[in-house]
Amino acid sequence: MKRSTVLLALAAGVAVYAQDGATHADWPYYGGTHFAWRYSALDQINTSNVKKLAPAWAFQTGDYEGGLQSTPIVIGGVLYLSTTHSQVFALDAASGKLLWQYKYPMPRGAGGNIQNRGLAVGAGKVFVGTYDDYVVAIDQKTGVESWKTAMSDARQCGCSITGAPLLVKDKVIVGVAGGDGAFRGYLTALDVKTGRVAWRFYTIPAPGEKGNETWKGDSWKYGGGATWMTGSFDPELNLVYWGTGNAASDLYAGDRFSGEGDGANLYTSSVVALDADSGKLKWYYQEIPKDVWDYDSAYECVLIDREVRGRMRKLLVHINKSGYAFVLDRTNGQFIGAYPIVDYHNWTTGITEDGKILGRLEPVENKTTLVCPGPDGGKSWNQVAYSPRTGFMYTPSLEICSDSMAREQQPVEGRGFIGGTWSHRAPADGPAYSHLDAYDAVSGKRAWSVRYKYVLLASILATAGDLVFTGDPEGNFFALDARTGTRLWSFQTGGGNRGSAVAYSVNGREYIATPTGWGSIAGRAMVSIWPEAEMFRPGSTLMVFALPESGQ
Amino acid sequence: MKLALLLIPACALAQNPQARGVEVFNRSCATGYCHGVKGTPGGAPRLAARGFDDAYISQTVRMGIPGTGMPAFATTLDRADLLAVIAYVDGLNGVTPPPNPFAMRAEMRKLPPEAQRGRELFADQVRGFARCSTCHQADGIGIPVALPFSSVPENVAALRAVATPQIETATAEGDSFPALVLNGSGAQIKLYDLTSPPPVLRTFSKSAVTLAQGSEWRHEGMLASYKDDELESILAFLRAVVKP
Repeated sequence: MKRSTVLLALAAGVAVYAQDGATHADWPYYGGTHFAWRYSALDQINTSNVKKLAPAWAFQTGDYEGGLQSTPIVIGGVLYLSTTHSQVFALDAASGKLLWQYKYPMPRGAGGNIQNRGLAVGAGKVFVGTYDDYVVAIDQKTGVESWKTAMSDARQCGCSITGAPLLVKDKVIVGVAGGDGAFRGYLTALDVKTGRVAWRFYTIPAPGEKGNETWKGDSWKYGGGATWMTGSFDPELNLVYWGTGNAASDLYAGDRFSGEGDGANLYTSSVVALDADSGKLKWYYQEIPKDVWDYDSAYECVLIDREVRGRMRKLLVHINKSGYAFVLDRTNGQFIGAYPIVDYHNWTTGITEDGKILGRLEPVENKTTLVCPGPDGGKSWNQVAYSPRTGFMYTPSLEICSDSMAREQQPVEGRGFIGGTWSHRAPADGPAYSHLDAYDAVSGKRAWSVRYKYVLLASILATAGDLVFTGDPEGNFFALDARTGTRLWSFQTGGGNRGSAVAYSVNGREYIATPTGWGSIAGRAMVSIWPEAEMFRPGSTLMVFALPESGQ
Repeated sequence: MKLALLLIPACALAQNPQARGVEVFNRSCATGYCHGVKGTPGGAPRLAARGFDDAYISQTVRMGIPGTGMPAFATTLDRADLLAVIAYVDGLNGVTPPPNPFAMRAEMRKLPPEAQRGRELFADQVRGFARCSTCHQADGIGIPVALPFSSVPENVAALRAVATPQIETATAEGDSFPALVLNGSGAQIKLYDLTSPPPVLRTFSKSAVTLAQGSEWRHEGMLASYKDDELESILAFLRAVVKP
């Protein structure tokens, strides 16, 4: 299998692929596999027959407040789905029949920005994070709670768990959200069997640890660096990769930038590589030193092996909110290149061949500065897909700028710590918009681009049927030709699309499943750009599609 | 402003001050990082149905709240926008309140200085899991693994010597560990595994776990991150907030 892929790739003049980051019948991990390609090797549904794709079943979770942003996990014909309030459902993946449900008891008075983006399944358990910063393990067969462990007092830290846990060998690794408040980010690994904490890595070093010198005074205590999405894992190198969030206060660095050491405000807006067993830092790469734009880098780390300048390299491709994709050597964190994925990017005049950020346009006090991209990011958390058949990374980009103003602010633990204000702005010479593009994942050469008038905030799924699936806030879930971007099929799901579609098969029949239902503070805030965004439909329904039985 | 006009038809704003208030609020206040649309909470508090009076709203929007994230908009919004957004926030007072945010107790109590220091040490985030609030709740902070405090030890020596006869030794899945058992319901038993902080609330079928009285676990072992004078302050805090 691997060898034939190699030959095909060479023949196609793309590159050499030694790794298999594709999913097959199952969709076992958040990003598909630990390499986070969101790519399925299934090709029963393909460019020639996708127009016949039709609903097979739907499942309404009933937990519609905040929409549905999850990634389903499918293992052995059972589909596991988490919802905003950390409810978990196990469904027969072929029929949609409910097998069991788990309802997390939400804390009294819970409200505001509650989200859940997915779960992990393995070792006989289902793992999910909660709004009040607990990690919960549920028996995979029965849905009965097995253990739960508090990561902190959520009322004190103002933090929560929104990202899907990552299962790595005998541990489940969980991030935390809250980095726009006065808070210090961390990653925690728990023993899958007992729920005991195996290690914790703080994204901001304490006094006496290397990197703390990049923080002024006590600012390290509340410096952000949240780990609010899900990382990746390379079993051969035994390294866990995770993106970290913005430094806090977000827009004002005067109280936190020490000017000392290599880097600024380590390890915020970075990729960190940790030993999977010990949680010890192996390397880091800070993409945005001294972040003053709220350029979270907490997004997915796509692990691919590709040739660079005649040499095979183990790479990590990583996009952050700045609208740049960073290509790193994942064995040592060496910078290989960066390329923009947005049309409007004025925060820097460019990034040099050795990764230096040139011509920084920083927000100032007492006057607004038009910055592109704004804090929504040139890309939001919704994830890219990578197809080894095309070599393309399929990327959802946002063209939304901001009027940003910095302002000194004293931190209060667990409270908002923006250090200024910002408001949505269109780019200087036209309306805000978004686009879905196909880039050569390493060179950044754009093969095609599809423009959309609102925001694309759903993740991308690529398949060996040379299809790319995603959805829009108007309710359309659609398939594009992976090589040309031509729209081949579309279905009105009745709810805004903000989740992450997956592909799987049961008894030889391929299914495409996508969460639907608009919501969340960021989703609702789109009315400040487009008043008609008020009409994007809320909800929480999993839609599942397949070819008609006769059409196979 | 010119940029905003690209987003919203200019005529709509000129003709409808209310629409202008909504537009200014959504653009300048409701990014989600700060307030949410319709005055719902975001990173900053809820504004709907708070009962603020006109003067307070006007003052706050214009001048901000020093030392917090609330900026002064008098310098960044023009007069018409200011008036429109103040009127809009004013109008939110009549809106049905959305669900309460799950926020920490609003303001710390007025505690004597040593008790205040003790409160901070009790929940000191810098210590990670090695802090009192990992297992205790007091004054609304912390994870209530242990029962609420009914009394406070006399002094640090007494705190170190606290006896914990309720901690048992559980054996399950080939592993023995210190456990604080909660009431089991039916065929299940729930207990806190105290092997290392933080405690893990584990659920077993009753037949899968055996319990023995007593344990090697000692409360003193959990106090290692604190010095004696810090423990004194924590006791002062507990004396100030624990109702016997």
